[in-house]
Amino acid sequence: MSSFQLLMEGFAAALTPVNLLFALVGVTLGTLVGVLPGIGPAMTVALLLPITFTVPPASAFIMFAGIYYGGMYGGSTTSILLNTPGESSSMITALEGNKMARRGRAAQALATAAIGSFVAGTIATALLVVAAPLVVDFAIGFGPEDYFALAVLAFVGVSAVLSRSLVRGLASLGLGLVIGLIGIDQQTGQARLTLGVPQLLDGIDVVIVAVGLFALGEALYVASRLRHAAPEVVPVGRAWMGRSDWARSWKPWLRGTAFGFPFGALPGGGAEIPTFLSYATEKKLARGVSREEYGKGAIEGVAGPEAANNASAAGTLVPLLTLGLPTSATAAILLAAFQQYGLQPGPQLFDHNPALVWGMIASLFIGNTMLLVLNLPLAPLWARVLRVPRPYLYAGIILFAALGVYALNGTAVDLVVLFVLGLLGFAMRRFGLPIAPAVIGMILGPMAEIQLRRALAIGAGDVTVLVRSPIAAVLLLLSLGALLTPVVRKLAERRELAPARKE
Amino acid sequence: MSPDTPVPEAPAAGAAPEGGRRGWWRPELILALVVLGLGVFVIVGTLDVSAAASQLGIGPRFFPILVGGAMIVVGVFYVVDVLRGGRGDPEESEDIDGDMPADWRSVALVSGIFLAFTAVLNTVGWIIGASLLFFGLSVVLGAEHRVRAAVVGVVLGIVTYLLFVKGLGVTLPGGPLQGVI
Repeated sequence: MSSFQLLMEGFAAALTPVNLLFALVGVTLGTLVGVLPGIGPAMTVALLLPITFTVPPASAFIMFAGIYYGGMYGGSTTSILLNTPGESSSMITALEGNKMARRGRAAQALATAAIGSFVAGTIATALLVVAAPLVVDFAIGFGPEDYFALAVLAFVGVSAVLSRSLVRGLASLGLGLVIGLIGIDQQTGQARLTLGVPQLLDGIDVVIVAVGLFALGEALYVASRLRHAAPEVVPVGRAWMGRSDWARSWKPWLRGTAFGFPFGALPGGGAEIPTFLSYATEKKLARGVSREEYGKGAIEGVAGPEAANNASAAGTLVPLLTLGLPTSATAAILLAAFQQYGLQPGPQLFDHNPALVWGMIASLFIGNTMLLVLNLPLAPLWARVLRVPRPYLYAGIILFAALGVYALNGTAVDLVVLFVLGLLGFAMRRFGLPIAPAVIGMILGPMAEIQLRRALAIGAGDVTVLVRSPIAAVLLLLSLGALLTPVVRKLAERRELAPARKE
Repeated sequence: MSPDTPVPEAPAAGAAPEGGRRGWWRPELILALVVLGLGVFVIVGTLDVSAAASQLGIGPRFFPILVGGAMIVVGVFYVVDVLRGGRGDPEESEDIDGDMPADWRSVALVSGIFLAFTAVLNTVGWIIGASLLFFGLSVVLGAEHRVRAAVVGVVLGIVTYLLFVKGLGVTLPGGPLQGVI
């Protein structure tokens, strides 16, 4: 069956009243947590993982997809309306967006962000429909050594790109890998690193790790440096924009999409680089009024990066669905959700569960449309959410974190583990260790181990089996390149500085 | 939980050198040493895992040795980097005031309240425990109206209990209010 037909069937599955309701709940929740500082889509999906025990997979993934896309929309509202620096992927939006808002053009900034996100999200999801079957065809012949090499590339890529300090990125990755090792070895049934504690035999639940590192870690970090001034939110009415704004926005939207999608699909690509590239490109291309406005609130500087941000979110789903390879923290949690259902994303998933995959992809189109409707007229409502007093916000986040973790097994022991992981998350934030490599290491680590052992079993102990396949060899070379790039960059910087000092 | 036991000391130990400088000493050194120590722990901790020798290929110890070895290498680089004055970028967030000195009192109080909640949860039940947790945390974090914080806490406690226990079938401890609600 062609992918178009499969997509249409996916729409049929996603358009049932129950699934539409799940999509609506997902996008609303996603926007809400995206708007609120201190809580994001990764943690929200992690907290909702327990519903996988009662809800059918299609509905759960439709909701998770809604949260994933909704979080992107919500983040842009925060960075435009709130006058404080936020997370790195939405920081670029804040550069021009917040200046626009303070010049009284908040409505237009929000509109170009929302419509741009919709345009980029829709185009990028369509690209996902086209690209996914191609990647699946390509990956169907992948052996275990190829999958292992892919995992290595994802590990190194995420660690090297997300942090300015390579060693801190790798340290974060290592912490995640160690957490992933704890528990019974899946192949031999041997207990590892459990220290004789029976509760650790099943390993540490991904919910506890994600909630600890994200929610409790963030809350403790905020407690240490809480901004005591009340949040300054720019007031805004309904989001709208005029004819000239449209004329200035549509090209940046398309260019942003072109930057975002491929970077999102790359292991370690993420949203930071394409949003920045889009910002720089629009700045270079700006003429006339826009040139004068750039740096003081030009609409192009919001339209482009926001589109890039959303397109990269869709791009992230390509390796996740077709190869089982998460390249962001949220994608890693989504992978954990698949595992809860006993599903393994990859070429086989498209073969065995086409209804589920295509239903989820179709729901991305639906969710995107819902988000546009939700964000344009309801902008004032989301702006009000931003005014939630911070003491209540973070007390509430900790309360829900405790609730979600306690509900897993009904034991207070898990809450203590949660607290320890919260301290780890706090220390990582304070010292600038990125969180995403730890989460990806924990979830992808055990799978990398299985593939490595399979590959070596096939090679009967011969290590060269790992590079015998050309694909694996290329991927490992790329990983080495990603590992060396920061080192080379540092050396180059030093060489540039050296003559300058002599003068 | 020995892999994590050194971690709780990180913020507490970091508190001391915040004011007075002690030469090469940096709080981040503890985290770097934890990474290094974890690498050693992973290798030592899996020594007793008896690899089934009859197995084709490699046993359950191979990957831990790989991870542990890599952690030791990264850990050494990390320690050296910290000693040489390298630093990462502390994460930025909307509610973080990066210019402020760290407020260790708040961190300690939030930690204390959370651990106290953990200790009494099964005795007092979810509604009372969660209400107190919310009230305590919001006051520590600077809530201005204590009465309002208390009311919000009680409402949240009751609403989450009803929603999750009655609505979603999650098991939460009832405590003394078991029969009442």
